[in-house]
Amino acid sequence: MKILVLNLPGVEPKTLFSDERLENLHRLMDMGCYGELKGDASAWNVLARQENHTLTLLEFLGQADKHCASFENFSALQSKLESQDWDYCQLIDAGLKNATSRADSGIADEYLRLDRELGEVLQHLSDDTIIAAIGDGCFVLVSSNNPISGEHKDGAIVDVAPTLLELAGYPLPSAVEGKSWVAGMELKNASSGLTSEEEEILRERLSGLGYI
Amino acid sequence: MKRVIVIGLDGFEPKIVEGLLARGELPNLAKLCEQGGYRRLKTTHSAQTPVAWSTFSTGTNPGGHGIFDFLTRDTKTYLPIMALSRYEQKNAFVLPKVVNMRRGTPFWNLLSARDVQSTIIRVPCAYPPDQIKGRMLSGVGVPDLRGGFGTPTFYSSRTGLSSEQSEKVLTVSVKDGKVATHIVGPRDPKTKSDHKFDINIQIDKPGNKIIIQSQGQPEKLEVQLGKWSKWLKVKFKVGMMQSVSGIVRFNLRQIEPEFELYASPVNFDTEEPLFPISSPQEYAHDLAMKIGRYYTAGMAEDHDGLNNERFDESSYLDQCRLVLRERRKMMEFELGRFESGFFFCLFDTPDRLAHMFWRFTEPDHPANRGVQQPEFAQVIEEHYRECDAIVGEAMKHADEDTLFIVLSDHGMNSFQRGLNLNTWLYENGFLALKANSQPGEGGDFFQNVDWNQTKAYALGLGCIFLNMAGRESNGILKAEEAEPVREGIVSGLTGLVDSDRGQVAVRSVARREQVYRGPYLSEAPDLLVNFSEGYRVSWGTPLGGVPRGLFEDNLKKWGGDHVIDPELVPGVLFMNKAFREESPSLVDLAPTILNALGVPKGAEMEGKDLLS
Repeated sequence: MKILVLNLPGVEPKTLFSDERLENLHRLMDMGCYGELKGDASAWNVLARQENHTLTLLEFLGQADKHCASFENFSALQSKLESQDWDYCQLIDAGLKNATSRADSGIADEYLRLDRELGEVLQHLSDDTIIAAIGDGCFVLVSSNNPISGEHKDGAIVDVAPTLLELAGYPLPSAVEGKSWVAGMELKNASSGLTSEEEEILRERLSGLGYI
Repeated sequence: MKRVIVIGLDGFEPKIVEGLLARGELPNLAKLCEQGGYRRLKTTHSAQTPVAWSTFSTGTNPGGHGIFDFLTRDTKTYLPIMALSRYEQKNAFVLPKVVNMRRGTPFWNLLSARDVQSTIIRVPCAYPPDQIKGRMLSGVGVPDLRGGFGTPTFYSSRTGLSSEQSEKVLTVSVKDGKVATHIVGPRDPKTKSDHKFDINIQIDKPGNKIIIQSQGQPEKLEVQLGKWSKWLKVKFKVGMMQSVSGIVRFNLRQIEPEFELYASPVNFDTEEPLFPISSPQEYAHDLAMKIGRYYTAGMAEDHDGLNNERFDESSYLDQCRLVLRERRKMMEFELGRFESGFFFCLFDTPDRLAHMFWRFTEPDHPANRGVQQPEFAQVIEEHYRECDAIVGEAMKHADEDTLFIVLSDHGMNSFQRGLNLNTWLYENGFLALKANSQPGEGGDFFQNVDWNQTKAYALGLGCIFLNMAGRESNGILKAEEAEPVREGIVSGLTGLVDSDRGQVAVRSVARREQVYRGPYLSEAPDLLVNFSEGYRVSWGTPLGGVPRGLFEDNLKKWGGDHVIDPELVPGVLFMNKAFREESPSLVDLAPTILNALGVPKGAEMEGKDLLS
């Protein structure tokens, strides 16, 4: 599976979880899991600390010969996503432009802009993508095989990287800093075929026609 | 001409109209007849609302617009699917988009390109709505909140009641004159369970009414015994973060000894429809501000409620009148501010009413089960007179500079006997069942069909598809084998006699290229069965059933139908300007309307200007 990480500095749990106008973010929250994150927000990409080196997600996947790319704005990211030629993409520092002046009344508009840009990005994805949006102390995670749904409590920022790798089916390196949330859990698999329940749905939808 | 006004009367049957005209009972249509003229109007193959109105709008045969039936099939799964629109979702992370399956170019797009304004109310097969200059409200094709043609709910204190066709049945208990229950909302695609909206019902026995209390609007809704309530706006929480609103109305059947309440399908909310139903998008809401909440679902009339006997004929009539009155309000409001360009308003009620009341005009109709109810025998004619009054109202807005047209898309006929088409295909070696299974087992959706040995299958309202290799997922017929199979079916079915009655049930079978041409021919059914009067495809056929036996009595209250040989069910055409054409066709309307407004007809349009 592909991994897309959106690092959105400045995005705070309070607004992210409560502003109903953030349609795309909220749809993703409903589809997957979300919650607050403990720890230093800038450590979102830290996978392992080995001796004198800090191994990031990007580095790790790059070493495994995966197609990785990093972007700093939505439009550059979009054109890469369209090409479909990637395994890991990350968007960094694309959070709130006025993140330093939170009192600014334009901040709400910035959230909306972000949500709109996210909406555009989503258009270019395929179903086998794992999406993680990471703000300041909060996250949203969506993956078709993710067994966790709804609010996920007590997560730490360094847990994100191993969780993503495990969902995507990569082996974890040694000295992993955080702990995968799905460790030991059975991942969901996509169902197929028409169940009797689905047949009932189909019958109901069509038979209201009257002629049937 | 400065203006064209078109009033559509769905399913208006020429024979009934001509009888009433002769007796002087349709004064306004008679006036039109005098001013311009009246003819029977050639309908489409097949004679169905979505097919015919799409031909009206595009001016092409169905091969040019791609709508051949209410239903078509998924070639991968052989399952029946709605043919009018599709939900397309690019991936799992974005919202699905509705795509209109009516292709071709409707004439109002050509008008818009020339800056001519249109007001189009409840036109079928425009969901999502066409983007036009002016205003459009979508009609047939708009689903209810559960995504289908309409699912009502029946609440009853009787235990052991099971669901009939397309409905939800909820068993409720009455405690101290109170009932706690819920409105059934959209299904959650993840959990597969229904979203709910809680309601509390307070029974007022002496007052013969109930009060429905909820967090909807209004918070307290009164429902009188035997009467239709006003709308209740409800909101379903469909996720932690998202909600969807809808509108629903009730009919209280009984307070005691049993409590029985009917709730209509939950319609899209006029204020915030789930998907756009108007162009511009805010028009649906603006209109509701002027005339009040209205039915948004394409099938506004609750025929299922009557068919399932959840309420009686009188209640159905009342509801049809509500719909008619509401549509009339829309028409009058819009005509009041209509200055120039094109105006269209469709009244569906004549069709939906005649489907359900036709049987009363035929004493021998099997659905009467020997019981005569003469009080309902005049209902259709009475309704036609009401429609004539509406035409009269609209005519007030037509001056010398207005082309005024009244038309129907098809007529109406009797439906006494049904033919199990798949069973015929089975008995004649075109359809195979899995080992050890017989017709009558397996239900809908071709469950027991052995696709590896099946050459043809029937689905929809008289469509037969071949099981073609490379097209159907388990197709077996090679291109050169197709024609002999078609020939076998055509010669076998043509003139098929219903031996119980000694009547010919099938007049002919059309190969698709005989009746269609154009870019969407390849999507059409391979064969179309043209039934005789009184016959139709059986209830078990449209969704892919293979019932036992060939012919059966139609015992349902839905006792009239028009999906028979199109030659037998033409529509009507009235115009206030003289026209000479003796046999006008639905394809002629688009060029006629365009020409009247000074816009050249579209390149694909097949008809002619009736006024030239």
